[in-house]
Amino acid sequence: MAWNIPELITGAVVPLLAVFAFTLPLLAKVFGEKKFPGIWALIASVVAAVMSTYIFTVVWGTGKDIVYGFGGWPPPIGISYEVDPFNAVIAVFTAWVMVLITIYSLWYNRHFDEPEWYYILLIGLEAGMLGCLYTGDAFNLFVMIEVLGISAYALVAYHKNRGEAIEAAIKYGIIGATATTLYFIGLVIIYGVYGTLNMGQLSLLNTEIYYQRPDLIASIGVATLLAVSLALWVFTYKSALFPNHFWLPDAHPEAPTPVSAALSGLVVNIGVYAVARFMYTIFGPASTIAPYYRDAVLTALFIMGFAGAFIGAIMMRAQKDLKRLLAYSTVSHTGLLYMALAIGMSGVPQAAVALGLAAMTYHVLTHGLGKALLFMSSGVFIDSAETRDLDGLAGVGRKYPLVSASFIIGFLSLMGLLPLGGFFSKLMLYQAFMDAGMLIPALAVIVVSAISVLGYAKAMYSVVFATPTREHRVIRLHGIHYMLALMAVGLILLGVLYPWISQGLVHVANSSLIGPGVREYQEAFVRAFHALLGR
Amino acid sequence: MITLSEYFMTILITCMIVNLGLALYGVFFKPNLIKKIIALTILGDTANTFALIIGYRMWVAGVPSRPPVFTEWRSNNPLLLFVFTKTAVDPLPQALVLTAIVIGLAVTLFLVFLTLQAWKIYRSVDMRDIRRLKG
Repeated sequence: MAWNIPELITGAVVPLLAVFAFTLPLLAKVFGEKKFPGIWALIASVVAAVMSTYIFTVVWGTGKDIVYGFGGWPPPIGISYEVDPFNAVIAVFTAWVMVLITIYSLWYNRHFDEPEWYYILLIGLEAGMLGCLYTGDAFNLFVMIEVLGISAYALVAYHKNRGEAIEAAIKYGIIGATATTLYFIGLVIIYGVYGTLNMGQLSLLNTEIYYQRPDLIASIGVATLLAVSLALWVFTYKSALFPNHFWLPDAHPEAPTPVSAALSGLVVNIGVYAVARFMYTIFGPASTIAPYYRDAVLTALFIMGFAGAFIGAIMMRAQKDLKRLLAYSTVSHTGLLYMALAIGMSGVPQAAVALGLAAMTYHVLTHGLGKALLFMSSGVFIDSAETRDLDGLAGVGRKYPLVSASFIIGFLSLMGLLPLGGFFSKLMLYQAFMDAGMLIPALAVIVVSAISVLGYAKAMYSVVFATPTREHRVIRLHGIHYMLALMAVGLILLGVLYPWISQGLVHVANSSLIGPGVREYQEAFVRAFHALLGR
Repeated sequence: MITLSEYFMTILITCMIVNLGLALYGVFFKPNLIKKIIALTILGDTANTFALIIGYRMWVAGVPSRPPVFTEWRSNNPLLLFVFTKTAVDPLPQALVLTAIVIGLAVTLFLVFLTLQAWKIYRSVDMRDIRRLKG
C-alpha cells in the first residue's frame, strides 16, 4: 500500500499528543527545570496545530473527505477517523487557540506548584478535543469524550487544596460521568439497531432505510430516538446548554485562568460539533427519526438554547465575580449556537439551513476567540488586583492600556458591535432565520443580544473606566499583552473579512452537513472500505 | 410455560431496569459522595450488562452459544465457519465493555480522590456540608 500522507497525519495527531503528554513527567524529572513542561506542551500544541492546518488545507483543496482506518482495518471493522471541512475548520481553530492558551499558561506558570501535571492535563485536553472532532466512530467519540472529560475535571480541581475547586470538580465530574454512561447506553441501543457504530456507515444505513425500506422506519424510529436523546445529554452537558449549565459558572472561577479560557472558548464547541454531527450527518433529514422525531428533538434544542441564551444574559447582570460573569456569557452564547443548530427542521429551504449552520460555525469562531481573549485578559487584571470581585477590580485596567484595549474589543465583539466578528456572526444568524421564515427566533437573537449588553457594559465599566478605589500592584507582563492584542486583531479580522469568511463557511456547511456534504461523508467511508479491503 | 433460559433472561432484564432507576436516583439524590460514587459504578455496570445482552445470542434448540473464538480455521471448511457465525456471541459489545470498564476505573478513581480531598478540607463527604459555591 502506498503511504497516503494526509491520512497518516490524520491518524497521527491524537496518538502523538498522547505520546507528548505521557513522556512529559519523565522528561520533567530529567531536566528538572520549572519552565520545561510548559515549553514541551507548547511544542506539542504547535505540532498539533501545524498538522491540523495541513489536514484542513488538504480537505479544503481536494474537496474529498479524509478517512484513516487505524491499524489498516477497513472502517466499519476498525476504528476510523474521518475529516470533512466542518470538523477540519473547527479543529484548526481549536488547535491554534490551544497554542495561545499554552503560551499564556507559560506566563501563568508561577501559579503552578507542580507544572508537569498541569501540562499533561492540558495536552490531554487538546488530545481529547481533537479526537472528538476527528473521529468517525461513535464509540471512539465516547472514549474521546472521557479523555476530554477526565482532563477537564482534573484541571478544574487543579488547585486541589481549595475547597471551592474540589466542590466544582465534584459537581462537574459526577454528573459528567453519569451523562457519559448514558451515552454509552445510547450507543449500545444504536449498535443493537444498526449493527455498526461507524458514523459513515450509520449515515449510509439511515439513508438506505429512509429511501428503500420505509416500512422499517416505524419500528426503528422509536429506539433510535431513545438512543439519540441519551446521546444528546452528554453533548449538551459538555457544552453547558441551559438545564445542564450549572457546572460551568462554578467551574470557571475556580479553574486556573488558561483552563477557563479553554473550557469556555473550546470545550463548549465540542458539544455543539457533536450534536451537529449527530443531527445532520448521521440522523439527517433522510433518516429513521425524520421528520417528526427529528423536528421534535431540534425544537427541544431550540427551546433550551433560547432559554439558555436568555437566562445567561440576565444572570450576567447579577454577577459580582468577573469570571462568573464571563461564564454566564458563555451560557448565553452556547444558547445562541444551539438556536442556530436547530434551524434544519423539515420544510426549511436548504439554502437557509446552510446559512444557519455557517452562522453557527462563524459564531463558534468569534465566540471562542473572544471568550478566550476575555478570560486571558481578565486573568491579568485579577492577578494585579488579587481579587475577582468587580468592585475590587475597579479601574485596574488603566494600568495596562494594551490589555484593556483588547479586553474591550473582546467584549464589543461578543456584544456584536459593527466592525467586529461578533456582529457579523449574529447578523448571519438573523439573516438565516429570516430566510427560513422563522421570525420569532430572528427577533430572539436581537433581544438576547440587547439584554446581554447590560452585563457586558457593567464589566467593562468597572474594570476599565471606573475610578480606582485603591492602589493595585503592577505585575510584569513579559510580552503577554502583545499576544492578547494579536487576538483582538484576530477578532477585527474575523469581522473585516466577513464576505470571504461567510462564503467559505457556507461552502463548509454545504460540503459537510447537508445534502451533497453528507453524501460525500458516506462515499468517503465506502471508498476507504474498498481501498483497505482490496489491498 | 416459559423455559428456564427465558426465565433467567427476564430476571436479568428486570434487575437491569430496576438498577438503572436506583443508580440514577442515587447519583442525583443521595447527599453522601461515597454513595453517589457507588451509584455511579452501579450505573456503569448496568450499562455494561446491557451491552453484553445486546451482543448475546440466545440458545438455539438447546445448543449453547459459544465464545467468539474461531479455533477451526486451519481446516478451511466453510461449513464450520457457517456454524460458528450462527452460534457465536457478538465480540464487539465485549470489546466495548472492556473499554468502558477501564474508563470507568479511571473516572471512579478520580472521583474517589476528589472525595478524599473534600474530606481533608471539609471533614465531611456530605454534599450538604460542601456548599460554598452558589451553583
